[in-house]
This record gives sequence, structure tokens and C-alpha cells, in this order.
Amino acid sequence: MFNTILSQYKATLSVFIVLLVIVVLELLQVRAAIYPSLLPAFQWLKNSTPLGYIGTTYGSIYATVQAMHLLTMGTLGGLVLATDLRLLGVMFRTTPSEVISNGTHKAFKVTLIAAVLTGIFCAAGVADKVYYMPVFWVKMLALAAGAAFVFLIKQPLLSSKPHSEINPWIIRGMAITSILVWFTVAASGRWIGFS
Amino acid sequence: MINELLLQFGQWMEAQQYSQMLVAGYYSYSWLEATHVLTLMVSIGSLFIIDFRMLGWILPNVSASTIADRLHKPMMIGFAVMFITGFLLVYAKPVETIQSLWFRIKMILLVLAFINAWVFNAKMKAADGSWNNDSVAPRGLRTGAILSLVLWCGVVTMGRYIPYDWADCDKTQNPTILWAAGCVDQLKVL
Repeated sequence: MFNTILSQYKATLSVFIVLLVIVVLELLQVRAAIYPSLLPAFQWLKNSTPLGYIGTTYGSIYATVQAMHLLTMGTLGGLVLATDLRLLGVMFRTTPSEVISNGTHKAFKVTLIAAVLTGIFCAAGVADKVYYMPVFWVKMLALAAGAAFVFLIKQPLLSSKPHSEINPWIIRGMAITSILVWFTVAASGRWIGFS
Repeated sequence: MINELLLQFGQWMEAQQYSQMLVAGYYSYSWLEATHVLTLMVSIGSLFIIDFRMLGWILPNVSASTIADRLHKPMMIGFAVMFITGFLLVYAKPVETIQSLWFRIKMILLVLAFINAWVFNAKMKAADGSWNNDSVAPRGLRTGAILSLVLWCGVVTMGRYIPYDWADCDKTQNPTILWAAGCVDQLKVL
């Protein structure tokens, strides 16, 4: 039975182990020890890379990329909501949820890549500032958690079998988790602007 | 003439107690701004999915009318919230916003986007529906979808430019920009 659970929920267990390791490292104060050593990397990103140079020198380019980042986040949010509201049975009820979740996944991946690339550019221009912002790290953590959740848990499970064969509460739980995680990413991003 | 009238209107709004309260409140303006931006995920997010479907980039095996019908309501709710919060953001800083070149371009693009949406809807209703299950919409609707994407990208970009001061009345001497931004006082000095 133990072997069955291990083989069925390999990805979920992997994520659980990763989270456990993070908690243990946090308790051992490893993050606090590593944090200061990250500062030179952020300073290098701003002062010694073309991204940092363009971001600090050309305000119009920086603002345009910020707008692109907003657009990608808006599109990402739309895709997440369309998929997850279908999984919750709120929207597209006449269309099979498999069709919606598989049909939006490719666009989700492309939009996520665009959001990350534009986000790196935005962060490069103010790297020495965001380094000191707790909300920036909240966004990064939420982003990592969201990506891990989608690619290691949600999508593998949704594409592994017909959704009718999956416990509906697991599907609903995944949809609500997904909405909450991506909302956290967007809201913390907005919060960076206020800090 | 129109610039003077708009400026007077802005000054009238700015003199109102509620306008001053919105700016003076520690969180009120930030909450409005956050709601305005985060609602993008519902409004633009839904709209772009419809446009992407028309272009055949997404969900080609789901009928175009199903996508458009189901996303219409959340999209309209999203836009309603954006317009209310957008109006309140202007109401909080009326003179500054009315004299922003980017805000004015944003408004023009918004009008164009709505005309495009109206034409797009009319074309969709007029079509016989035989293309509904095709992976790509007919040419006219595809053009409308591309225009919609371009116009809304422009709206968001102009919105992002508003906080920047490159074209503010006290930052430029260019008469055309001053006129386009409605910098009445600076134009009188020139």
C-alpha cells in the first residue's frame, strides 16, 4: 500500500519534501546566513548588466517593459481564472474541464515565461532596492510555489486521467489553491510599487 | 478653449472635500490603485482569451461563441470595477491627471477600443455562425481581435506612463506637447 501511494503521488511527495526542507533550513537559520551573500548579485544585476543599465538610464523603456509585465500578469490571471473557475464548475460548464485545462496550459506557459522575463528586467533596474523589500521575497516565494504547484502537482494530475475519475474535492482544492497563489503573486507585485 | 474648460472642471473637482479625502487618506489612494490594476486579471485577462481564441492561438476546439459568451460577464464586471476605480483615481488627483499627456492618449485609445469592440460585436452577430467551430475566425473578426489587443496594450501602457513626469507641464517647453497635455498656464507664458 505504501508503495502504491509513493508511485501515485510522486510529484506531490516531492513538493512536500522540498517544503519540509525549506522549513528545516529556515529553522536552522540558513536563509538568514545566505541572505547577505545575495546582495552582491543584486548589485551586479543593477550596476554591471545591460538590463540594469537600460532600466536605470532609459525611463521610457523601463516603463514600457513594466506595462508589458502588467499585461502578461493580467493575461496570466485571466488564464488561471478561466481554468480554475471551470474546475470549480462556475464557468464553461458545458465544455469538458479537460478541454479547458489542457487548452489553456500552453498559453499559460508562454505567458508565464513572458512575465518572468519582463519581471527580471523590472527588478534589474531597481535591484538594490527590491533586495531589501520583504514583499519582493514574498512575491518570489509565491511565484516559485505557484510554478511548482502548476507543473509538479496540478497539471500532471489533471492530464493523467479523466477528471471524472479524480476526487471532486481534490479538483476544487487545487483550483482554489491555484487562484490564491497567483492572486498572491499579483498582489505582492502591486505592493512592491507602493514600497 | 477645451483645455481651459477641462482645467476648470479639474479645479472644481479638486476643491471638493471627497477628492481631498481620497488623497489624504493613508491607504485609500493605494487601495484604489491596487484594485484598478489587479482587476486587469479579470477584464483584460478575459478579453485577451476571447481575442486569442479568434486568432486560433488558444482553445481551438471550443466554439468561439462559447468562449465569448461565457467570458462576457466576468469581463464586463472587471471593466466596470476598473472604470469606477479609474474615475475615483482621476477624482483624487483631477488637475494633475487632466493635464497628463498620457492620460489623454489613454482616453483616446479607450474610446477607439470601445468602438472596435462595438464593431466586433456587430460583426459577430451578423455572421452566420458557420465559422463558429473553426479554429480561426473569419478575417474581419481576426482584424478586430488584433486591433483589440493593440489598443488595450496601448491603454495599459499609457496608464503605466501616467505616474512618470517626462511630459509634465513643468518639465517640457515643447508647445505641441504643452497644448496636447492641456498645460494652459505654461502656454500663456510662451
